[in-house]
Amino acid sequence: MDRVIAVVIGVVLALGLSAIVFIGINKLFDLSEKRFAIFNAVIGGVSGFVVFALLWGNQMIVSPEIVTLMATLIGAATGFALGLVKTRSGRLAVGVAGGLTLGLVAGSATRSIAWPSIDPVAVVVGVALGAGFGALHWVITRRRHSARVLILAWLSVGWLFGAWLAADLDGSKAEVVFVAAVLGLLVGAWIGSVPYPDRLTRASIATGSRKYIFLAPAMFFIAATLLVPLGRTIWLGFLTGTPTKLEFSGLENYVSIFTDSGIIDVSDWTSIFTGRLFWSAVLLVVVGVGLGRWLGRSGGTGLGTGFSLSAGTGMLIGVGVILGGFAFFTVIRGTIPNNLWWIFSVTVFSVGLGLAIAVLADRSKGENAAKSLIFLPLAISFVGASIIWRGPMYTARPPSQDQTGVFNAIWVQVGEWSTSDTSSLVISLGLLVIVAFAGYIGLRGWQSGNNAILAGSVAINLALVWLVYRFLGPGIGGVIPDPITGEPIPDPVIFLTSNPWNNFWMMLVFIWIQTGFAMVIFSAAIKAVPDDLLEAARIDGATESQTFWKVTVPQIFPTIGVVATTLIVTVLKVFDIPKVMTNGNFDTQVLANEMWQRAFTELNFGLGSALAVVIFLGVLPIMYLNIRRMQRERLG
Amino acid sequence: MTALSPNVRRPLGDRIYKFLRSIPTWILWILVIMWTIPTTGLFINSLRTRDAQRSSAFWMAWQDNANGQQFPTLENYQAVLGAEATGGLTNGLINSAAIAIVATIIPIAIAAFAAYAFAWIDFKGREWWFIGTVALLAVPTQTSLIPLLQAYSRGVHVTIPIIDKTLTLIPDAGLAGTIPAVWLTHTGFALPFAIFLLHNYIAGLPKDIFESAYIDGADHFKIFYKLVIPLSFPVLAAFAIFQFLWTWNDYLIALTMIGGNRDALPATVVVASLAGEFGLREHLLTAGAFVITIVPLIVFFALQRFFVRGVTAGSVKG
Repeated sequence: MDRVIAVVIGVVLALGLSAIVFIGINKLFDLSEKRFAIFNAVIGGVSGFVVFALLWGNQMIVSPEIVTLMATLIGAATGFALGLVKTRSGRLAVGVAGGLTLGLVAGSATRSIAWPSIDPVAVVVGVALGAGFGALHWVITRRRHSARVLILAWLSVGWLFGAWLAADLDGSKAEVVFVAAVLGLLVGAWIGSVPYPDRLTRASIATGSRKYIFLAPAMFFIAATLLVPLGRTIWLGFLTGTPTKLEFSGLENYVSIFTDSGIIDVSDWTSIFTGRLFWSAVLLVVVGVGLGRWLGRSGGTGLGTGFSLSAGTGMLIGVGVILGGFAFFTVIRGTIPNNLWWIFSVTVFSVGLGLAIAVLADRSKGENAAKSLIFLPLAISFVGASIIWRGPMYTARPPSQDQTGVFNAIWVQVGEWSTSDTSSLVISLGLLVIVAFAGYIGLRGWQSGNNAILAGSVAINLALVWLVYRFLGPGIGGVIPDPITGEPIPDPVIFLTSNPWNNFWMMLVFIWIQTGFAMVIFSAAIKAVPDDLLEAARIDGATESQTFWKVTVPQIFPTIGVVATTLIVTVLKVFDIPKVMTNGNFDTQVLANEMWQRAFTELNFGLGSALAVVIFLGVLPIMYLNIRRMQRERLG
Repeated sequence: MTALSPNVRRPLGDRIYKFLRSIPTWILWILVIMWTIPTTGLFINSLRTRDAQRSSAFWMAWQDNANGQQFPTLENYQAVLGAEATGGLTNGLINSAAIAIVATIIPIAIAAFAAYAFAWIDFKGREWWFIGTVALLAVPTQTSLIPLLQAYSRGVHVTIPIIDKTLTLIPDAGLAGTIPAVWLTHTGFALPFAIFLLHNYIAGLPKDIFESAYIDGADHFKIFYKLVIPLSFPVLAAFAIFQFLWTWNDYLIALTMIGGNRDALPATVVVASLAGEFGLREHLLTAGAFVITIVPLIVFFALQRFFVRGVTAGSVKG
């Protein structure tokens, strides 16, 4: 209960303070036109507070609470007076008095660790540079501002650097009081030289500052949490050593990343040609392209391109490309190839499935219910999803027990069917009936001139015939003969440890989540395709599949690009799923987890930063594309 | 033979055509069932005893009572929410709520102001500032983690070149390991998307109302809270839900910024560390995962319309 109260108080405080600060600043600038003195007093007080808080934070002043309070009050009083006094000499006197007082307070409160020993050369250089910069500033801004104000402002900075910051800190108390008093004098003279603003200027302070007030919090947070850390991470990437003792070492981190065989390992690339995957992929692509060309030439859906891209040929070529990709990524191993494999699988499957579901749902009853159930995983955390899949989906139990994971239960059951003569015969017969039926439909489709149906039936039948072959011939599923008795015993797959495919089983979790995202966006895009376009295509005699491929797909093509790039950015930094499911063991490492382990378990900030930079380089092309797209949309 | 007529004339062809037309609906619902199995399985298993979970799959739960195992049972939930057993999932839920509420409201407020400025206050280079801000959407979290953690644990110090002295800008505030560190991090990371989303909507509000309000003497701040906030309610809700789910579900930022401070860890990190044990308490994971999932699910089903709007915004023109 204490915890709840503490948390509630913290939440209320955070929200309340943010609101007060923000509304307060807006209200404050409203005052500048009509109550200039109060406005000035607040600005003066805040300035005094900020400067002394900085000294306080650097542990440079004694009894910091009282001194900072004094500085705040002196600043407020000076500001208030400057908001009332309008004569030139009066303002200068007020400014100098206030500045000098503040300088004396600062000087006498400074602790001995910050007492400068005045170095005349540095002072001269600092003052000369300050005066020079002031004159330069005046010229550059085309004499819009008063020369005296600019030169005094820059002189203050020059004095601060020359007399204090550049000096050795082993001086005397007299020196620090002198330096601080002169600094206060210069700043006071600078502020006091600013003429009293007329009513119009005061009003424009209120309106002109509004954009800064509105944008400042956002820009501050973006700079503080994104831009500055990005720059620092790039810098840290060139350093090596422990967190407290980092030294510049050039590209050493990058060299060690790209020479580490755990990160990229191509040594086994020739075995791609001995794997079945690669040749299946080649076969499928060849059949798909051949069928498409043949159907395209024999008229029908080709529409003069000489190639018939339909659901059937598209499926053949698509499956071929996917298998080819998998053949590649199961041979080229390591962290970076894993990341590329993630990008490949998740993008292809989520875009493909999302598009398919959006299309299927578009013409069905219960569209909204179906869509929200597909969409639901997007609301679940990656941690929750990892546990869901590791538990009820992927669990493997010892062969002697019942399988409690969905995948293994199915896999072992299929295996048992394929080893029993009767059930494998029954299943094969059942499959052959479907083959015959699909073939018949394909034939009818061909006769009636719809080649897409033919191609679809060929694609489905290829898969079915392969299944029949496996059932009758070499067998399929999670069963192996017992080494002693020869009896078939269950052989469950240990999904998360058997590499390289364990990578894909983790990607499946991500696909399960992100398909809903792709679907919702495609669904919106499909509904945005103008009805008259579809109507015109139908009147011209286009079939459903032609309308889809030739009208709908080109219309939603830009959306496919947007979804794909969004997915790539998300997948590139995938962390939670590998972390929770395997923690990068069993050859499932990805860049984000590698980065986290190097940086936060081994405390190797240099290497961790270099890995973060590698991830950043991966999103750079997409950032470029996004900027170009927005440029086109907004700047014309 | 004409292309379209045979199906109409022949009864068999007609039936085949109808069958083909019905295929998509079938496939769709098969996919929907496949998509629902994992969550259903988790929910059912979370209501079963440890032995039942280990000995049979979730679809055999209807036999549990016959096998002497109680089903449904809340014992996993009692164990996982009980204080000592799990490293404080109840505590974690409180922390998750604290993180998500603040890390939702503050970015909305900041982004709404910025979006209004980008949409309705004219200043030099506005388009480029806006494009630059939104381009940062793609910057990965990873490039910020190390410097931010350093800043939270050691403060911010600048070494001035040439004179080689180190100046402390922000002293060590001891933020590392606390919830405010997570608030600050989430706030920064949320802003590019929030500004993008809110700007799209606020820029589309009718120009007349601003002009008439301006003529009536209202300033930008007044226009903002009297007109823009009420009119932008749908998009504010959309982003709020999106951001709430994002921060509730976040694992990486909380794990990095809070790290070893068990008292401040949110529920996702607590459950994930439970998952890392692979031990005796694995049966509690189902209940733990369901507990951290139920809040997003309630939000999702209650406010789905807004959530979908938040997800689709900006991706589809028109």
